[in-house]
Amino acid sequence: MKARALVMVLAMALAFSPAAMAQEVVIGALNDMTGATSDVGKDYALGIAEAVNYCNDNGGVNGKPIKLIQFDYGYRVPEALTKYKLFQRMKAVAVQGWGTGDTEALAPTVTADKMPYVSASYSGHLTDPKKTPYNLFAATDYSTNARATLTAWFDKRWPKHADFGKRKPRLACMFMAASPYASAPIKAIKDQAALLGFDIGPDQDVSLFAVDTKSQVLGLKDFKPDVLWHGNTTMSVATTMRDAYALGLGADHIVNLWAFDENLPRLAEKAAEGTMAGTVNAFYGENTPLMPKVLEYGKKFNPGVPPEKRTIHTIQAWSNVLALWEAMKRADKAGALNGEGILKKGFETMKDFDLGLGGAKLTYTDTDHRVSGTVPVYELRGGKFQLVQVVDLKGRWPDKWASWMGW
Amino acid sequence: MSTTFLPCGEYHQNYREDHAWWQTKFIKAKMVLLMLVLFVGIPYVSDSYWLSVCNQIGYTVLGALGVQLLIGFCGQVTLGHAAFLAVGAYTSTLLILEFPWPKFLLDLGLAYPVSILIAAVVAGIWSVLFGLPSAKVKGFYLILTTMAAQFITVDFVITQYISQIGGRGQAFSLPLGTIKIGPWVIDSDLKVYYMMIVLVILLTALLVNLLRSRVGRAWVAIRDNDISAEVMGINVVQYKLMAFFVAGFIGGVAGAFWISNLAAISPEHFPWFWSLWLVGVILIGGVGSIHGTIFGSIFMVVVMELLQMAVIPLASSYPKLLMDFLFIKEAAFGLAICAFMIFEPNGLAYRWWQAKNYFNLWPFSY
Repeated sequence: MKARALVMVLAMALAFSPAAMAQEVVIGALNDMTGATSDVGKDYALGIAEAVNYCNDNGGVNGKPIKLIQFDYGYRVPEALTKYKLFQRMKAVAVQGWGTGDTEALAPTVTADKMPYVSASYSGHLTDPKKTPYNLFAATDYSTNARATLTAWFDKRWPKHADFGKRKPRLACMFMAASPYASAPIKAIKDQAALLGFDIGPDQDVSLFAVDTKSQVLGLKDFKPDVLWHGNTTMSVATTMRDAYALGLGADHIVNLWAFDENLPRLAEKAAEGTMAGTVNAFYGENTPLMPKVLEYGKKFNPGVPPEKRTIHTIQAWSNVLALWEAMKRADKAGALNGEGILKKGFETMKDFDLGLGGAKLTYTDTDHRVSGTVPVYELRGGKFQLVQVVDLKGRWPDKWASWMGW
Repeated sequence: MSTTFLPCGEYHQNYREDHAWWQTKFIKAKMVLLMLVLFVGIPYVSDSYWLSVCNQIGYTVLGALGVQLLIGFCGQVTLGHAAFLAVGAYTSTLLILEFPWPKFLLDLGLAYPVSILIAAVVAGIWSVLFGLPSAKVKGFYLILTTMAAQFITVDFVITQYISQIGGRGQAFSLPLGTIKIGPWVIDSDLKVYYMMIVLVILLTALLVNLLRSRVGRAWVAIRDNDISAEVMGINVVQYKLMAFFVAGFIGGVAGAFWISNLAAISPEHFPWFWSLWLVGVILIGGVGSIHGTIFGSIFMVVVMELLQMAVIPLASSYPKLLMDFLFIKEAAFGLAICAFMIFEPNGLAYRWWQAKNYFNLWPFSY
């Protein structure tokens, strides 16, 4: 019995020792499979593991295999902190993070540790390299997307409204105020609304776990918004849309991208018709150069989850992994496969880099980590996602673009 | 009177000896050894990860001490203690970021220590506000009023109003170098560890001494039977509110300590689950025992980390194990509470007491 225990301990020690990992490039991943954002987090987590397998099958980091250490942290910040320290102990060279709460909370730590932290949080607060140089993501940020989506609604929908030219359009925001994710782009969208000449109504606090939002919808009855911004994730946004539909609020819906997925029409049905959002890459199964591989790896590694149940969040995960993979390969070639090298010789050398997943071409500079100023805005029609407009914020407001960084 | 049996031949001759913290030379030696382990041994052998685990234990101890006082010593069941941690954390953060500190205080590195004290007092007063219903209600009804503390404080006041101060949005970030005690900038796990150890020792000593005083005896009397306590002349409402103040005070220190760990806070750092977790800590450690608070915190943090360590080597064969670990952890938390309730309702502290007395009385442990 004692001998067996000793063997177990030795095996653990060996497996855990730095020597065992010497030839591997370790990356950590924090995902939410059980917490407040697990409705979208599960699919993202599957995508991370599948994409790393794809990278390894294609040579890893210039011949060195990538070892993925992936944890579910349940969207709890204290849990994220100890997991991050564990990644450090396991000599991880970079981390694939998840939510805005933990990503923003860890930002000072990853900056001090020079640890590239590629997150599923696309918070605009993380785009200023002067403040958060090691926070990165392969997508346009929430604030840019929110500005673009409101602009597309203003350009395409408002002119068709009966009151167009008679009064200002009205915007109201529904989001969980306590959630850094949901509240991240609120200041930006209100700024854009002011720029476009909207009246802005009272914010409505909607929990990420909401199953009934009638009181919030009724709270907007007097204001009569023309368009509602939903800042939460799919489950609670679908609930709000259904309640708004049932109570006859009559407003259009524009949403943050973590609520704009294949599950939204399934959950909200007719209530979601016409919903608009800025997207950061193709939907699952759409025709893009790398999509066949995404489908193949999904089938191979998670055969229990059929393609019709997969969502755009898988592609978001692939985008983040592929961007980090490219950065690591460039850093390794330059002989600097470490935090600073991955940032300076990897990410910040990318210019118009196409991942092949239908997203914006990635450009990172040492003064701006916003990957692009152009956002494709889609709408939901008959259960299908259709391109409405590609909004070029940088081109349309060149004098303001620089000042929009970092919030 | 001491609840620990003394070794053969050791006996007390006066109350001073009976009330001494460390009653024999052997115990004094053990305490010196413990201090050496805490201040030299652990920092020497631990890497950044294990220090962060220790800091997590310390944060849990600081949070759970107040819960232990309320539930274990005063009989006031609370399920909203994370709210007072949040008040402490936000008060300290806002003071550091927004308060116009006199230059000499900044130069002396006293802004953060003073902010901890103020945060503790503010959290204590805030706790008293939510302790007021305890004058009228108890049991399940009190549980609901303490839960209200969580929702009113974190989800409403902090999220809607406090978080908006300074226009930063939800997450407050403390620039490097602002968390400073005297000449030391708290910028590494090791420095956070030393700060944690000092705070845990100070607050544990404060609470233990309070419990040995007239105030502590009044709390215990209220816990055992509040009607009898009132009949004996104890002002029940006053002492209950005092317990809420002290619990909130300690919670405020815990919150103010937490910001040194991350240099950032948002309302998501203080979820209702954390209030529940702290109650779980004292149930496993032992209700009505300061040792229990510490043992419970160590158990809840270290056992979970060790379980995780055991899972990591298996992950190369079963990759999903890592992702499923949180399920295992949650299940282990629930099972541990059930198991302790059934097999050891007095918690780990009782086992410690048994082991300690066994060795004190050895070889004649009859």
